[in-house]
Amino acid sequence: MIPEYLLRAFLASIMISVLLGMLSPLINMKGLAFLTHATFHSLLFGAVLGMILGLLIGNLGIIIWVALVVTIFVVVTIAEIENRGFTSDTAIGIISSFVAGATVLGFGLLYKVMASRPYFALSESIVSYLTGEVFLITISDLEMLIFGGFLLFLAMLFLYRDFLYVSFDPEGVESYGGNVRAYLMVLYIIVGAIGALIVKTVGLITLQVVAVLPGAIAMMLSDDLRKIVGISLFLTLCIEILSIFLAYATNIPPSGIATILLGIIYGTLVFKK
Amino acid sequence: MEAVKAENVNIYYDGYIAVENLTFKLEEGETLLLLGPNGAGKTTLLRTLAGFHKEYTGKLFVFGKSPQEVKDFISYVPQSHTLNERVPLTALEVVAMGGIYKKSFIHFKIPNEILKSAEEVLEFVGLRHIMNKPFKELSGGQKQRVLLARALISNPKLLLLDEPLSALDPSARVEVANILSKIKKEKGITMIITTHDVNPLTEIGDKIMLLNKQLVAFGTPEEVLRDEIISRVYGPLSKAIKIGSKLYCIIGDVHIHRGERR
Ligand SMILES: Nc1ncnc2c1ncn2[C@@H]1O[C@H](COP(=O)(O)OP(=O)(O)OP(=O)(O)O)[C@@H](O)[C@H]1O
Ligand SMILES: [Mg+2]
Repeated sequence: MIPEYLLRAFLASIMISVLLGMLSPLINMKGLAFLTHATFHSLLFGAVLGMILGLLIGNLGIIIWVALVVTIFVVVTIAEIENRGFTSDTAIGIISSFVAGATVLGFGLLYKVMASRPYFALSESIVSYLTGEVFLITISDLEMLIFGGFLLFLAMLFLYRDFLYVSFDPEGVESYGGNVRAYLMVLYIIVGAIGALIVKTVGLITLQVVAVLPGAIAMMLSDDLRKIVGISLFLTLCIEILSIFLAYATNIPPSGIATILLGIIYGTLVFKK
Repeated sequence: MEAVKAENVNIYYDGYIAVENLTFKLEEGETLLLLGPNGAGKTTLLRTLAGFHKEYTGKLFVFGKSPQEVKDFISYVPQSHTLNERVPLTALEVVAMGGIYKKSFIHFKIPNEILKSAEEVLEFVGLRHIMNKPFKELSGGQKQRVLLARALISNPKLLLLDEPLSALDPSARVEVANILSKIKKEKGITMIITTHDVNPLTEIGDKIMLLNKQLVAFGTPEEVLRDEIISRVYGPLSKAIKIGSKLYCIIGDVHIHRGERR
């Protein structure tokens, strides 16, 4: 009999793989790795802030929502700065420094608040946002992941072609009457929302790798869009599932295993070329 | 009717003036070749006419209206190096892109009628047979023709082409120039074409503009392609030569200009 927590981890991994597997080629094609990084860091800030507020009001369920709001606020601000004519790197640089500083300050505050409230659920340790806790995922976490994930999946699916066109030639899209600002805003929000939805399960430290490498690997293996998305999806799924079972067998955190496996595949391909 | 009319136009970037006091007229159906050294403001002028760049003063009309108002009639083809070829699109998908954005926001599937017109314009530029090939794998000349097809799919009245011949070898230049000449003959679209190499295009150029921040010369090829005029922009080694009825331009020191800028 499969333990229930393993089943939950398994289902969560499928959803996560679908989201990241589809997003990853876009991140690579559009060159959004830096933005993804910034986004995921703002998630940590959001989580810290959410935890402080959650502890204060006695409801840790708000963490993910606070993280989501903070992250969307951050990506929208970055997009706005870009719209003012600054490069993406500049916009991200400015915002990231605020986010990084605020995170450190937030940790200081969080420890103070935690010291004043010794009893809270173990599943809400801030460390789980860093390393991921796929085995601690609850039924309500899972419901939310699947429901939210499905919506994000649809959004990505229906706008995929537009995201490709905007990555290929933003000026072209603009000149033919498309709204590049709106597409980029939606894409950034999708990146932020996917991050918020899965950060607790995958963990911030490895999210960056799992969101970027499968697409990079797929793009080394094929030039055909369908194949690229297919390989990326398949690879993410295999890695996620495999690492869950390896983690179950060895007691090493699964996100760490996933990252290392991806690193090995990517490294092998790069050296072979 | 005038396709383009500019009166005392100044174009700026954050207050810094890039094109100064420009006045000219282009009739509908005419082709204008826009010449000038690097940094002369050619791209700037095109982008302003296309309605992308809005920081200008003076009177600027495209078909009697402001560029933004007639965006739908204008197709702008950027220099091809601005394209991100990491994105795997086929030639057909690239062309279809020119036709989908006026109607809707979401394009899960390209509408059939757009695919059909995409095939037709690809046929027009002689590339229907490679429509399913990845754009990245096409030759330079073919890429440029695909971009022309993309610009044509929306039936524009004004085509703005930024250096469609640059980065092409001489035979590909002729290949693209032939398509431009076909567009002029069969579709009669007004075109403004920037180029560093005027020779493959002298046949289709009704007007030539020499720009170097300011208007240096504007007129028919015979009026503009004279030693004393082109040497003002391209230096003393530049020459205009007439062979038969065709005018050629030998621009001696364009590379020296480039070298100085680095
Ligand atoms: N986005 C921008 N911001 C600020 N200045 C700009 C910008 N784009 C161009 N310029 C400046 O405006 C001037 C005209 O540039 P433009 O690109 O229009 O020249 P060009 O004639 O197209 O040159 P090239 O032959 O190199 O393409 C240059 O001095 C350039 O540095
Ligand atoms: Mg230019």
